[in-house]
Amino acid sequence: MTLKVYCDRMSQPSRAILIFCKMNGIDFEEVTIDILKSQQHTPEYKAVNPMCQVPTIVDGDFTLFESHAILIYLSCKYPGVASHWYPSDLIERAKVHSVLDWHHANLRRGSVGVIVNNVLLPLKGLPPNPQAAEEAEKTLEKALTILETFWLKDGPFLVGRSQPSIADLNLVSEIMELQLLSQELHDRLLSPYKKVLQWIEDTKSATAPHFEEIHGVLFKTRKEFHELMATKSGKTE
Amino acid sequence: MGLKVYVDRLSQPSRAVLIFCKINGIDFEEIRVDIMKNKHFSPEYKAINPMSQVPAIVDGRFKLFESHAILIYLCSAFPGVASHWYPGDLFKRSKIHSVLDWHHSNLRRGTVGLVFNSIIGPQNGFPSNAQAAKEGEKLLMKSLAKLENFWLKDGRFLVGSLQPSIADISLVCEIMQLELLSEKDHERILSPYKKVVQWIEDTKKATAPHFDEVHDILFRAQKRFRERMATESVKNELKSKL
Repeated sequence: MTLKVYCDRMSQPSRAILIFCKMNGIDFEEVTIDILKSQQHTPEYKAVNPMCQVPTIVDGDFTLFESHAILIYLSCKYPGVASHWYPSDLIERAKVHSVLDWHHANLRRGSVGVIVNNVLLPLKGLPPNPQAAEEAEKTLEKALTILETFWLKDGPFLVGRSQPSIADLNLVSEIMELQLLSQELHDRLLSPYKKVLQWIEDTKSATAPHFEEIHGVLFKTRKEFHELMATKSGKTE
Repeated sequence: MGLKVYVDRLSQPSRAVLIFCKINGIDFEEIRVDIMKNKHFSPEYKAINPMSQVPAIVDGRFKLFESHAILIYLCSAFPGVASHWYPGDLFKRSKIHSVLDWHHSNLRRGTVGLVFNSIIGPQNGFPSNAQAAKEGEKLLMKSLAKLENFWLKDGRFLVGSLQPSIADISLVCEIMQLELLSEKDHERILSPYKKVVQWIEDTKKATAPHFDEVHDILFRAQKRFRERMATESVKNELKSKL
C-alpha cells in the first residue's frame, strides 16, 4: 500500500513534506484536504487526524502527524534518502532538532500571526486586531533577526550545514507564506535580512524544480488575493 | 570536562532535564540561572545560549538548547539510559516526536499563557492581562481534553506506552506549573481529566524520588503566591467594607 500524504499546498508544513518526498523519489499519493473549504473538519478526515490539521501521513496502518515528526520518519524509513537531510552524527542531529523546536514558538508563531492579521482577517471581512498584528510582527522580526545572526551564521544552510536538512525545507516553506502579503509589507519585513534572503534562494536551488512547482498554488493565490484587495480598496475610495 | 546543565527549577523544561539526568544516573553539574533576577540576560549566559532561555547544556565544547533536543541528545549520548525513554523502534519514536511537537503550540502555549498572565507576571511587577490569561486557559483546556481523549487513550503513558518516555517527563513538568494557581483554580482546571491526573501520578512514581525533590522549589513558590493572594483578598475585602 502506497504512502498517503494528506495535505494542502497552501499549508507551509504540507509543502515541506511534498518537496521532501519528491526530492527523494519517495512514491506517494497526495490527498488534498482543502483548508479554505474546512475539509480538515470532516468526520472522514478527523478519523485520520483527530487534531484536524495538515499534513498527516498514512503508511500502511501507521498514521503520523506533525510535520517535523513526519520528516524525521521519512528520512529514517527510506534508505534512498541522502544523509544530509537528517544527519546521523549525534551532534549535527541535535542541532537540527534544536532549530526545528525553536521554530514552533518563534518563526512559525510570528509568521502565522502576521498572515492571519494581514491576509485572513481582511479576506473574511473580519475587523482588524492592531494589537495582535503588532505583536505578531514583533515576534516575526525577532525570529528573522535570530535566523540572520545565529542560525545562519556558520553556513549557507541552518546550523552551519553546507547542504540542506529537513529544517531548511520546513523553515523556508514557512517564510514563503509571507508571499501572500502586499509587496510593500513583504519587502519591509524581509529586505533587512540579506543572509535569510540568500538562504531562501539556496534552498530553492537545492530543491529545484520541485520547490517552484509545489509553491505554484501559493503564487496563484497571492495574485488572486492582491487583485481582490485592490478591488476592495478601489471600491472603498 | 563534565556535563553542565544550566537551569532554573521554576522553569518547566529545566525540571524535565534535571529529573531525566537524575533518574538515569547521568553525572552533571547543575548551574542555576535565576530567571526572576534576569540572570538569563547576563552577557555570560548569553554566551552559553544566545536565546537567553533555560535550559541549556554544555557537553565538552558542544552547547545545546531546546529541552526536547537536549533530552533526545542525552538519551543517545549516555549509554546507561534505558530504551523506553526514547525507543529505537521507528514507529514508537515517531509518535514520541509527534506529541513533543504538538506540545509547543498546545499544552505549553496554553499553560504559559494562563500562568504567566494571571500569576507570575503580576507577582513580579508585570501588568496582569486578563484577556491573554483567558485565551491561555481556553487553549489549556483544549489541550487537556486532547491528552485525555487521544494521547493517553491507549496506555498509562503517552502514545500508548507502558513505560514513560521523555515526552511524559516534559509534558508532566509543564502541567505541574499549574500548581502555582490558587487551589480552587487548579482543582477546577484539572479535576475533569481523570486519565491526566492518574498519568501525572504514574510519572511521579516512575521518577521517584527525583520528581518531588526537583519540584520542591515550585511548591515553595506556590505557598508564597497563595499566601500573598490570600493577604491581598483580605485587604480588598476590608477596603470595600470601609
